[in-house]
Amino acid sequence: MTKISNGKNIEPGAPHWIEWITGAVSGIIVIAVIVWIGKDGFMDRDTSPNLHGNVVKMEKRSDGFQVLFEIQNGSSVTASQVKIRGEIREQESVLESSETVLDYVPGHSKVGGGLIFRQNPAGKDVKVRATAFDEP
Amino acid sequence: MSIATTREDFDTSKFFAGIARGIAGALLFALPMLMTMEMWQLGVYMDRTRLLLLLLVNIPLLIVLSDRVGFEETSTWRQAIRDASIAYALGIVSCALILVAMGVIKQDQSAHEIIGMIALQAVPASIGAMLGRSQLGGQSADEGGEGDDDDPVHERETSYAGELFLMAVGALFLNLNVAPTEEMILLSYKMTPWHALVIIAASLAVMHGFVYALSFRGSHDLAEGTPSWHAFVRFTLPGYLIAGLISAYCLWTFHRTDDIGSTQTLMTVVILSFPGAIGAAAARLIL
Repeated sequence: MTKISNGKNIEPGAPHWIEWITGAVSGIIVIAVIVWIGKDGFMDRDTSPNLHGNVVKMEKRSDGFQVLFEIQNGSSVTASQVKIRGEIREQESVLESSETVLDYVPGHSKVGGGLIFRQNPAGKDVKVRATAFDEP
Repeated sequence: MSIATTREDFDTSKFFAGIARGIAGALLFALPMLMTMEMWQLGVYMDRTRLLLLLLVNIPLLIVLSDRVGFEETSTWRQAIRDASIAYALGIVSCALILVAMGVIKQDQSAHEIIGMIALQAVPASIGAMLGRSQLGGQSADEGGEGDDDDPVHERETSYAGELFLMAVGALFLNLNVAPTEEMILLSYKMTPWHALVIIAASLAVMHGFVYALSFRGSHDLAEGTPSWHAFVRFTLPGYLIAGLISAYCLWTFHRTDDIGSTQTLMTVVILSFPGAIGAAAARLIL
């Protein structure tokens, strides 16, 4: 409880126990956050992103065939302006390709997107991968 | 202001002055957000259940805020609810007018986009309208000199929950200003875990200093004979936790945590809690 007297706020010396409980719980949570981040400070030794692309889903849409993908970053370093290239291949020749750019792929996270092809990728080899990135 | 002749005239002018103060408050607090590109975009694409939740959370927030610091001395919950709905409506109307005036809302846009943009912006604007009427007004002589410095005895008490609530409002306010911007996530990507630890320490120090050490107007003192760490545990730590929770809520609402790894999310929360902590501390001084 805080007493406001003539514009001055005075915290009394003998507070309710609930104030101490709240303070203690908050302290524990703040310390837990510090420990968690500190642990990563010691453990993470990555110096560059590690990007891996996966095709999640293929579906027919009004303007062609949509391939939804996911780019996973296995490293703790974030990549920005990640160029993504998707290709439909048949017997080592590229039938069609499509590109997009993801703003960020944060460390230990995944980001999704979509590529649109004119021909049906079903039954063919579809590859999606990152081709370039910037440091944020 | 013209001299009021009848009781009815007096009330009307006071009512309109209150509305004008509400609009002024909405502008003062919401203009930075109305002029932020990410806020327009979020209004268009953000998940409608999250937007709905934000709009619903704003209602009890305004009511409690109205009861504590609102337009007038509200004595009943009914009056608090009335003032909260006025503030919400003022927020919606002023946002709509400004977004149209700035050319952000155009005729050819779908209702989905227009309503989303206005609804999102109305949240900070309505809090602004509520605070505007209490903070920009209420000092005139006819209102009994509430908060006057030469008032001989002016005593009131804020409950512990009340103090925590004020901190939450302060944190929410600063957070809403910066959480939608891309800079918040960009900062967390640029920072290493060590930077985050420095930011946590700085947030706690600044928060405690704001309220207890810097002797601002409205600053807090401990009763005599109480060690200073008491206030740190009872007020600053819970306040920081509240700022952190509000930051996490804002980031989730604005899709800044979707599919992001836990450490990365925590770092974004830490960086957003920095302004949040200052907002929380400032609210304890001002409100």
